[in-house]
Amino acid sequence: MKLRHSTTSPYVRKVSVTALELGLDGRIERVPTNTMDPKSDHAADNPLGKVPALITDEGERLYDSPVICEYLDSLADGPGLFPPAGAERWRALRRQALADGILDAAILRMLETRRRPEALRWDGWVRLQSGKIAKALDQLEREAGTLDSSLTIGEIAAGCALGYLDFRFAEDDWRATRPRLAAWYEGFAARPSMQQTVPREPA
Amino acid sequence: MKLRYSPTSPYVRKVAVAALETGLDGRIERIETDVWNPGTDIAEDNPLGKVPALTTDEGMVLCDSPTICDYLDSLHDGARLIPAEGPARWQALNLHALASGVMDAAVARVVEVRARPEDKRFEGWLERQKLKIARALDALDKQAAAGALDGPVNLGTITVGCALGYLDLRFAEDAWREGRPALEAWYQAFSQRPSMQATVPPG
Repeated sequence: MKLRHSTTSPYVRKVSVTALELGLDGRIERVPTNTMDPKSDHAADNPLGKVPALITDEGERLYDSPVICEYLDSLADGPGLFPPAGAERWRALRRQALADGILDAAILRMLETRRRPEALRWDGWVRLQSGKIAKALDQLEREAGTLDSSLTIGEIAAGCALGYLDFRFAEDDWRATRPRLAAWYEGFAARPSMQQTVPREPA
Repeated sequence: MKLRYSPTSPYVRKVAVAALETGLDGRIERIETDVWNPGTDIAEDNPLGKVPALTTDEGMVLCDSPTICDYLDSLHDGARLIPAEGPARWQALNLHALASGVMDAAVARVVEVRARPEDKRFEGWLERQKLKIARALDALDKQAAAGALDGPVNLGTITVGCALGYLDLRFAEDAWREGRPALEAWYQAFSQRPSMQATVPPG
């Protein structure tokens, strides 16, 4: 399999952590991709112009990260990261959606403050996205008691979302009012799959 | 079940079509919600401040459309909207991701114009979204020409239908049908389904 990859994308990190946790990492060849480079050919693999995109051994192109992660899960033996239908599944998918929502808002905020021409930046937009992030983090704090009980795509997505906030918005100090989430993340971030995928700017 | 909805959201429409196609519509109570109203209480159900949000009979809140559709699909005995396994599953989920990308980009265009002060709008952002939409539509036209959108209705084709309906609602002047005859013909037929007719957004 080939994975369209960037070292800063939190959605790519979800896929990488999933692959490591499932023991599939060795089967994935990484294709470094800069989606902001106008000369990049990645739209051939994903018309939406995003990473991650996975090219399977059968030549199918899969996106976005929830689909790729669930596909990888179907290739692995043993108890998976996507529980079958039932309360466990909804909790995992719900948590993934909440964490991906944090990421979507964080990316919009990053684009506003880094990529948009300075004269066109708008504080109202930054506040709107920051408010979504804060409320979703508060929700995760309320749920922190159940974060430890299992490893599913929900906890992986939550870990990658928090890692991205540390990477891009360390000054926000999301831990200050969320001690239980902070304690969970400290343990989760120490997993080898998380340690091997810490985001970094490309060399 | 209770569904927070807005009459024009393409994500809500996807859920509404899925509910009609699976015979679950009668079990869903609807609560109209304007997420742009500063006094909205949507965050009580969805910290990310978005519709749709579904509260199940057990009191669990699911707040993104793919998870809601996955949940609804577990409640009925008919043909699955998300095939259980194998290539059909990945094809349906990938189609869903591609069409969701069209919705995301189209909504981003609407938000850029509606939510931001006029002097803070960025033409480059609008162009980027238009390009994503055009490329995704080209890919969908190829799939339609290859017959990949035919066969039993699934979450992927429902999402394509709702994305195209949203383009007609918001960006009729873009004339997406031009140069995409296979997609146009497919949509012409698909949009006649009772589930699509019953959920046409108010113009």
